[in-house]
Amino acid sequence: MITLLSITLLVLLLIIGRSRGFKTYITLYLGIFLIILYLLLMKSGLNPIILSIIICMLATLSTLFIINGVNIKTKTSFVSIMIVLLFIFTLIFIIVKRGNIQGFSMESLEAIGGYSYDIGTNMIDVMIGMYLICIIGTIIDTSISISSAMNEVLENNQHLNSKELFKSGMNVGRDIMSTTINTLYFAIIANFIGFFLWHRGATFEYVLNYKAFDQEVIQLLISFIGSIMIIPITAYISSITLKRKKIFNFKEKKQDR
Amino acid sequence: MIELILYGDKMSKKFKIEIMILILFSLVSIIFVYNDHFLYKTPIMKVTEVKNGTKNSEMFKETYYNQEIKGIIKNGKYKGKEIKINNLVSKTGVYGDIVEKGNELLIEMSKTGEVNELIGVKRDKYLVILLVLFIDSIILVAGKKGVQTLISFFINIIVSAIAIFIFQKKFTTLNLLLLYIGVSVLFIVLSLFITNGKSKKTLSAIISSIASLFISFGLAFLIVKIYGGELSIWSMEYIEAVYDYENFFYVTILLCGLGAIMDISITISSSLNELIEKDPKIKKSALIKSGREISKDIVGTMTNVMLYTCYTPIVPMVFLAIKNNMKLFDALTFYGEVDLIAVFTSSISIVLAIPISLFIAIHILKPSKKEVQE
Repeated sequence: MITLLSITLLVLLLIIGRSRGFKTYITLYLGIFLIILYLLLMKSGLNPIILSIIICMLATLSTLFIINGVNIKTKTSFVSIMIVLLFIFTLIFIIVKRGNIQGFSMESLEAIGGYSYDIGTNMIDVMIGMYLICIIGTIIDTSISISSAMNEVLENNQHLNSKELFKSGMNVGRDIMSTTINTLYFAIIANFIGFFLWHRGATFEYVLNYKAFDQEVIQLLISFIGSIMIIPITAYISSITLKRKKIFNFKEKKQDR
Repeated sequence: MIELILYGDKMSKKFKIEIMILILFSLVSIIFVYNDHFLYKTPIMKVTEVKNGTKNSEMFKETYYNQEIKGIIKNGKYKGKEIKINNLVSKTGVYGDIVEKGNELLIEMSKTGEVNELIGVKRDKYLVILLVLFIDSIILVAGKKGVQTLISFFINIIVSAIAIFIFQKKFTTLNLLLLYIGVSVLFIVLSLFITNGKSKKTLSAIISSIASLFISFGLAFLIVKIYGGELSIWSMEYIEAVYDYENFFYVTILLCGLGAIMDISITISSSLNELIEKDPKIKKSALIKSGREISKDIVGTMTNVMLYTCYTPIVPMVFLAIKNNMKLFDALTFYGEVDLIAVFTSSISIVLAIPISLFIAIHILKPSKKEVQE
């Protein structure tokens, strides 16, 4: 059945997006491949955190450079994404470690009951890695939208200084932000329905401190924080790099004459 | 707000006050959640000492920590009492909590004050810290728009909570799918209305979101119904608790792409609106062309968002399974099939939403020839 859905998606993408649509399709499968690669390499005993950072870099590179090509916009986005990733990593590391967010809770007991827990890899690391890969998609999305839009703005208004350029980048970012938050919220809300059906009659303090609930909420909140933080960072770096590139090009043209 | 900080412009008095309020609010919430023991009915203990003994269980081969934990109770009848508790936890942390010094634990006590068992770590403070970070960053980055987004977000949460509450009460008689189709329409109307205000643009976005939702969900529903076969629905989390399990699966699919559909609709209708306002005589074909250009840019990264957000959470479960010698492909099918279906169906919704939104936006936004002449 997944094959059928996948073919339907391919056909639709080709009709709507032509070659760009095909690239989207390839990137989607590359993403799935990267997640599988993450699992396999982790199984062979490599450190999940270091691996997840490498996977995030590969995911960023493939999405940015396949869909949008290698240029100043994508390079700027790449740098901004790495900065945000570093920040989120620090945040997540502290919270997962102190809050014992790793592993499974009661409702999964049946599913994990038959398995040995002696897997030789610390679940804390697996959890941190998972969170990092989880948020990479939304950060890429926001970042590339902002840097492309800023590039467009500069093309049309060459006289803008870097401060004005930064402001217009922030405006674009704000417009994207509210819809991104919606998208992320609905993408995982279905899990909450199941959770509350399972824990019918649970008290507020029980739910609030419950591991499975907190895992979902933390995923949601760090994706939010990541997708908001990327806005000023991309806008600021783009405002410098794009402007510098413009001056540089201008000088080159002068020399040609 | 952030422009002012970065470029060192003069801060207005109003701005200074707003920043002060934000800092005050953050500090108060965090201090509060670190001292909210009095609100809890469950006894909480603060860990003062942890001794880690290793113990090898004979049933399995795995290594366990046998933690001997000492601590002081922070609330309730036995406040101030020193207690001991044992905690058996696997070294890899697959199940249970690895307690450290300084942690606060929720415990179960009998009426006579004897310690029964450990419930878990007190995690509310981490949620509040993240929530405060989220609220602060959204207001700093987006100002007024950030507040609007927050309001719309909290209204969405309230609507979801009410829907879940209704369903909790009547879960055997109510049709989950029908309830959530209704709730989805409500979600669309509320969130687009709050963040974009009353205008033709919003109307167009609302209509195209609803139309895209029904068409794409209908398509997904048909494909699953006809070619469904043996779905590993039973591997879905919480499925045993859901009476109406087949519909629970459809609701998962329905909700997963909902936000993305709204995103596409509002992007297309606001950019077409922009074009029409600049040039009311713009041709229909030109509108379609630029609409497609805009959407091409979004689709690629949007499908990626769905993939990483919805598919990555299967990692811990699949990892545990393959470490226990389950074949990778089997584990992915068993634990990840439903999530992958959700990724594909929401990607299909994203792509389908483009022509639908374009069609509706052109019909609603484009003034008729008469209006242009006037």
